[in-house]
Amino acid sequence: MGTGSTDVAGAVRGRSAVVAVGNTAQGTVPGIPADELAVEALRITLAEAGIDKSAVDGLITCKSYGGFGIDTEIGRLAGLNPAYSATLDYGTCNFSLHLACAVIDAGLASTVAIVYGTDQRSSGNRFGHALGRQDEASVYGFLNVAGPAAMAFRRHQHLYGTTEADLGRIAVSQRRYAEDNPLAIFREPLTLEDYLAQPYLVEPLRRSDLCMISDGGACLVVARADRARDLTETPVHVLGIAQQTGLRDRQNADQWMRGWIEQVASRIYPAAGIARDDVDALYIQDPTSVWVLQMLEMYGFVEPGGVGEAFATGQVGHGGRLPLNTNGGQLSEAYMWGFLHLCEAVRQLRGEAGGRQLEGLRTAQYCSTFGFMKAASTILGTELS
Amino acid sequence: MTGEGLAGPDTTTGDDSPFWAGAREGRLEFQHCASCGFVRWPAAGVCPECLSRDFAWRPVEPVGTVWSWVVYHRAYSAALRERVPYDVALVELDCGVRLLTRLTGFAGGDDPVGTRVVARFEELGEHGRVPVFAPAEEGTDR
Repeated sequence: MGTGSTDVAGAVRGRSAVVAVGNTAQGTVPGIPADELAVEALRITLAEAGIDKSAVDGLITCKSYGGFGIDTEIGRLAGLNPAYSATLDYGTCNFSLHLACAVIDAGLASTVAIVYGTDQRSSGNRFGHALGRQDEASVYGFLNVAGPAAMAFRRHQHLYGTTEADLGRIAVSQRRYAEDNPLAIFREPLTLEDYLAQPYLVEPLRRSDLCMISDGGACLVVARADRARDLTETPVHVLGIAQQTGLRDRQNADQWMRGWIEQVASRIYPAAGIARDDVDALYIQDPTSVWVLQMLEMYGFVEPGGVGEAFATGQVGHGGRLPLNTNGGQLSEAYMWGFLHLCEAVRQLRGEAGGRQLEGLRTAQYCSTFGFMKAASTILGTELS
Repeated sequence: MTGEGLAGPDTTTGDDSPFWAGAREGRLEFQHCASCGFVRWPAAGVCPECLSRDFAWRPVEPVGTVWSWVVYHRAYSAALRERVPYDVALVELDCGVRLLTRLTGFAGGDDPVGTRVVARFEELGEHGRVPVFAPAEEGTDR
């Protein structure tokens, strides 16, 4: 498929660390424009961590719905003249974090704020558009990420006999975590029976398989290892990063199965210097539950077709051996384009997760994708040895 | 014409008009690279295989296999409210193109995934005749 090979083992291990995370209110946050939500997230994050704004010498923003989130505008609003700034055209936070690590390694900045803000709920985004370049999509009504995700799940059902109840366990597990998360938008209990009783939106997917559009902002501060020790007593080290693209999009065979994600899986553990079995908590970005299913399999946490059994037997998910999306994920917490997954991973690793705190965590992995174009993963840890 | 009346951004481009014009006349046509022969879709000004800019629109064998299919119960744009529920399928054509389409001629309860299909051309609202796919009968496969 032309994905090539990349030798990156250990290239960033321990060279930078997350020193602060923060977020605004989530859900419906009327009256605050997207860029100001991003700045508000920055303000909250710096204040909670006791970091002065003057320490920030790098700014990486993420374009948000409506064309907002440009670094030049965020920098102006935030009163920053950082040594380095950039805007990524897409979110999930993994790509922003990886760029921050590269920028720090290159000596362009030492303390990088990564911010995202959106007012897409209040401003009326319904994601009523096709994903990627699909000329005939609008004619046939193939709109919203629910379409490709449903296609991929139906294909998965055909190949492995996966049932709708198997898929439903993902949303049910994430909702159980969200019940303990005050930030989460959806906190009312959800049983598998509740899930199966929901009408289809795009058959075979239901409401709880798809995240709700929300407003809000989130921020992470990443610092060079030596600076990190000055800024916090509990740095969360970046142990490894890996990426792979599938930019050929529709010309990739089985495009919506996104098999090229396996390239990230093959790189991330050598890059981090740990084994997959050493991952203590797992985070998977989830615009749809199908993405969780795909990445659980492609990173090798469950056998293809075995997702239902993996949840039912306590292999993964709430109460299981491998905690998964302990904030409730985008499906239940909020749609911050993946930023809150990394915020949650950092909070869990620092022991700051309140009523849903897990015990004994040393590592966490975050996996995300930008639609059918890009995949990335990060492994974070509390220790470097 | 392909984006008329839809609330979302028009994802069509002018250079795919031969595809829709061909469909109105009952033909399934795609760009063929004049240099390497690669059949491409969506329409583009450059071949993604050899990067040549030379191409010609030519018909293909209108046969393929259903990769997957879904049913929209929710209308994601105002123009689709009258249409729900409706199906959308992805068909892998023998020429290599993967085409979004709709299915016709399947019995309720059938799982179309993996079924050999052949193009038909049916009216679809304001879009006129567009390609849809029906189960291939013995002998019409080739």
